[in-house]
Amino acid sequence: MGTEASTERKQVSIRGAHLRLGESPALIGSRCPGCGEHFYPPRHVCLNCYQEGLDEVALSTRGDLRSFTIARMGLPGTAMTPPYVIAQVWLPEGVAVATVLTDVDPEAVSIGMPLELVVEKLSTDSEGNDVMTFKFRPVREG
Amino acid sequence: MGERVVILGVGLHPFGRHPDKSIGELARVAALAALKDAGVEFKDIEAGFCGHVVQGVGAGLRTFGEVGMTGIPITNVELACASSSRAAMLAADAIVGGLYDLAMVIGIEKMQRGLLSGVGGAEGGYQSRMGIALMPALYALMAQRHMHLYGTKHEHFAQASVKAHRNGVLNPNAQYQKAITLEDILNSRMIAEPITLYECSPTTDGASAVVLASEKRARQYTKDPVFMDTWAGGTPKYVRGEADFLEGPNEMLARKVYEEAGFGPEDVDVAQVHDAFSPGEVFLVEELGFCPHGEGGPFVYEGNTEIGGRIPVNTDGGLLSRGHPIGATGGAMITELTLQLRGQAGQRQVSGAKTALMHNAGIGGVNVIAFKR
Ligand SMILES: [Zn+2]
Repeated sequence: MGTEASTERKQVSIRGAHLRLGESPALIGSRCPGCGEHFYPPRHVCLNCYQEGLDEVALSTRGDLRSFTIARMGLPGTAMTPPYVIAQVWLPEGVAVATVLTDVDPEAVSIGMPLELVVEKLSTDSEGNDVMTFKFRPVREG
Repeated sequence: MGERVVILGVGLHPFGRHPDKSIGELARVAALAALKDAGVEFKDIEAGFCGHVVQGVGAGLRTFGEVGMTGIPITNVELACASSSRAAMLAADAIVGGLYDLAMVIGIEKMQRGLLSGVGGAEGGYQSRMGIALMPALYALMAQRHMHLYGTKHEHFAQASVKAHRNGVLNPNAQYQKAITLEDILNSRMIAEPITLYECSPTTDGASAVVLASEKRARQYTKDPVFMDTWAGGTPKYVRGEADFLEGPNEMLARKVYEEAGFGPEDVDVAQVHDAFSPGEVFLVEELGFCPHGEGGPFVYEGNTEIGGRIPVNTDGGLLSRGHPIGATGGAMITELTLQLRGQAGQRQVSGAKTALMHNAGIGGVNVIAFKR
């Protein structure tokens, strides 16, 4: 969308999310070369077989809603305005991701609904960069 | 088999808001009450264990020091909301091992008002920024899942809070001593669906103290001791494909404790469970084996956990009504069960209680303890 690289503001990922930005955004997790177990966030030692040095992998950008709650009360220091939907998304790799839903009517959320990852700007940091985060939204029909 | 452990004395500083009192003052009241209850003097105590979370460096000496400075080892124990029950377990382990005959636990906390942030500690990260790391939300995610799988209703969870507040009325040390109705709870401010404000434990200031003794020493003071019979602590265990937020392996710990104690869930006369939020009681009556999985909602709703019910739970009002000064909560649970087993629980008394079970959970670990008379 930017016109020239020099005027384009840099996008940075929110701290701790292990979010890959760019053309094909994805969460980065770990895969154990020993037993095949996946983890998010990434880790060094496999919790299933204790192998060290796991592979970095991009995780599926689609999953199912495992559970959710509608937060009706805001917390100081957060970037969210209530109500918002806190969700636990279950990815096909067997990994649960804690996130927030977007583009959704809170009253229409139901456990099991298919979801997809989206990247959104959350805030601007002190250097003027766009701080990007990930959320999930219902998979659109078609 | 080592020495058996007796809960010789218990004491509390009333739970509530005490902004003008220091932790030393809160602790002194609880500690002197426990020493008096035990019939021992502080100079006879051989070791101290202080459960607290955010009271800073040296809180153990600052609290124990209020009742005496005898040169004994004092250890600070932090396990979030389960700190003072873990402190009691460490004291009990040392007594079983023959290190001491008399040890004392002080649990203490003064808390900031407001909602507790759940995970990530000081590192924060995206979950804090995005408003996900919210303790009631973590319970709400499990509650919604339970509703989805088993048809549990919001009313089922809320009834645990009705019962907690009714019991709190009978407890002069409780933060809230006022009954509230199911409607009050359902209509109170929604925090994270289905959990409303009156289904959240409050922030609390308070202190608890427990004197533990070897059986042979305890026999000098009492003919009819209450035993801290068996105990097990644990941390979350990685299970492939499991996504629930759990503070620890509750069921595994309960099984272990039942096996060693020689009784089962059907034999428990009175219990304390960690009801930081109302769904906690529903989950725990299942995990501790008081009812089958998925039936905790109706089990609580139909009154089985009331005083006079099949298995009275949180007779002192629980975290929801007695209050939850995180570092002091475990000691308060021990206090209530000890009073119950001695027949000293006044209007809250479960008649003829001989066995008790306690579950205290914190972020980072869980404790399950069985008591016998
Ligand atoms: Zn592995």
